[in-house]
Amino acid sequence: MGAQPAVQNDREQGVSFLLGADKVHVLILKPDEMAQRNAILDALLNLSTLKFAYQLVYLAAPRLFGTSVDASIFRTRGIGLLFYDERRIDEAVPAQTQTEQTSRPPQQADTTLVTELATLRTMYLEMERTIIQLRNDLTTLRIPQPIQDLEPRIAMPTREIQSQSNFPTGVVHGGALPSYFLNNPWLDVLSKRGSGEREPIAG
Amino acid sequence: MSVENYRSNYTFAMDFGTSDFKFGPITLGEQPRIVNNRGYFPDKKSVLYRAFEAASDVVVGDDVPLYLQSAEDLASRLIYPMRNGMIERNDDQAWRVVQSLTSYGLEAFKPPPNNGFQGYYVVASLSSISPRYMYERLMAAFVENSHGMVKAVTVIPQPFAVAIGHGVTTCVVIESGHGNSQVCPISKYPIRTAQVALNRGGGDANAITSEILKDAGYADLANEEAFVRKVKENLGLVPENLNDAIQEAKRSPRLVRGRYKVPGTRVEIDLDKDSWSRFLIGEYVFNPNHEIFESYFNRGMPKPRDVKMGDTVFKGMLDFGEAIVASVERCPVELQPLLYKEILLSGGNFSWTVPPKLQGIAVDAPCKVKMLLRDRGIKNVSVKMTSTPQFSVWHGCIIYGFAVPENYEWDWQRLEGWMKVPN
Repeated sequence: MGAQPAVQNDREQGVSFLLGADKVHVLILKPDEMAQRNAILDALLNLSTLKFAYQLVYLAAPRLFGTSVDASIFRTRGIGLLFYDERRIDEAVPAQTQTEQTSRPPQQADTTLVTELATLRTMYLEMERTIIQLRNDLTTLRIPQPIQDLEPRIAMPTREIQSQSNFPTGVVHGGALPSYFLNNPWLDVLSKRGSGEREPIAG
Repeated sequence: MSVENYRSNYTFAMDFGTSDFKFGPITLGEQPRIVNNRGYFPDKKSVLYRAFEAASDVVVGDDVPLYLQSAEDLASRLIYPMRNGMIERNDDQAWRVVQSLTSYGLEAFKPPPNNGFQGYYVVASLSSISPRYMYERLMAAFVENSHGMVKAVTVIPQPFAVAIGHGVTTCVVIESGHGNSQVCPISKYPIRTAQVALNRGGGDANAITSEILKDAGYADLANEEAFVRKVKENLGLVPENLNDAIQEAKRSPRLVRGRYKVPGTRVEIDLDKDSWSRFLIGEYVFNPNHEIFESYFNRGMPKPRDVKMGDTVFKGMLDFGEAIVASVERCPVELQPLLYKEILLSGGNFSWTVPPKLQGIAVDAPCKVKMLLRDRGIKNVSVKMTSTPQFSVWHGCIIYGFAVPENYEWDWQRLEGWMKVPN
């Protein structure tokens, strides 16, 4: 699963990749291009023509662009819109294939809320990365090492998808039972289940 | 390794509550792990999801907030499977969430390899109103998706687990949650034929609170559920006697004056001369039959009705005293005095506090239940709140899983025993 690079025409700007059966093209508008008079118009016209070669097309623009654009124009054209800055990328408007455009009416999405949720998600991921890094730093600090033997840090995975196996032992070993076991008559009652006493039908 | 030593490490409990899923092995000691009892079905068409994420049909546990997408999709994609303690037989989405939670819970405590692990003895608990098909589907989820993590599984009702967790072998457990309440006598076994269910819970207290807020001039806030719940929790009172309490409140309004300010906001409620209505909130939970509530029903507040859900008929207007008596009197006569001597109250709907200056006018839940029983001629009663309401079900499941012999096999008539899982 995940995106694969796709072959693209040398004259096409931006990046292309494959997502499953869909060819996706992203045209990236750089911050210094924002000041150029026709850069945005040029980008949109390029993407409109590329819609015949790609199933999904996106314009990736600096976040500042969002304050001056009406996202509905992108929706009606089926062009996706991504905003980026130094920290994150957000999908403000999802792209639509030609089939989706013709068969479904454009949906009214609350892009502000979508953006905010995506922002929160990214912030959470960053916090998690920071915590992992801090944990590793603490572990490194605890192990005494001569200064000349310090090895370069190994890059940690950006996110742990699976919870680590948490298998504390020893709580019950050696007779250290949890408090709710102590003097509990049910231990005796339940240990005799099936020993021949008359048992009720559940009903 | 003997069975007893094995189960001292590999007993595992799962408590499927209406809001929370509590789980973990016996080795956790006093407290289980807790996640929300919910699952999220992400929109896999989103390009960012497809580009960067591995395919997952249902997301559960701590990762759910990371996958939340547009707010408009939450209602259809974020599923709380056990909001009323029950899942419909054909609600496939809800069952997929439950299945994912069981896998999630077990995977979180996967033992290291090559240490002799042959699977957990898993004890799951469900609401006492769960019909048989819920037992069938939950057990099937364990049997079909064990992946070597489950040696045997059983399911027990939550009130039964509460009694076990509290170390009381003969008692009446009364569970009261958001939507409904159940009276469950226990005598070494759950006496299922004597259970009485009420179609009344914390949500009904919210409803009367909302009406009170409207009367006091806060109609705009009365529709916000979270706010109404906060007002109920902070201003609601249970009267020893409703008529006396209202009289005293009107005579000494300053004594009973109800004011609540929402922390971090400028929103403040002041019931002022209507502060006597604080007693209606608590009274309604325990006994909705007082004539004062008729005016609220007449102007549209839903009256709790008798309903049938699954195999159980839920009574709407039965007060708690009547419900307990009805339940206990379905049990053998010689057992009845023993049951009245141990009544355990469990669930958030019984968490009522008594301000010190209102001692003698307002009471707590155990005291109210005692009075309702006294009014019906039942005097030698002992009523207690559960001491660890959050974890008592999980504790009871752990003890059950540890103590019940492994050769006690599952039986669909008595709904107890171990179902072995082929690995």
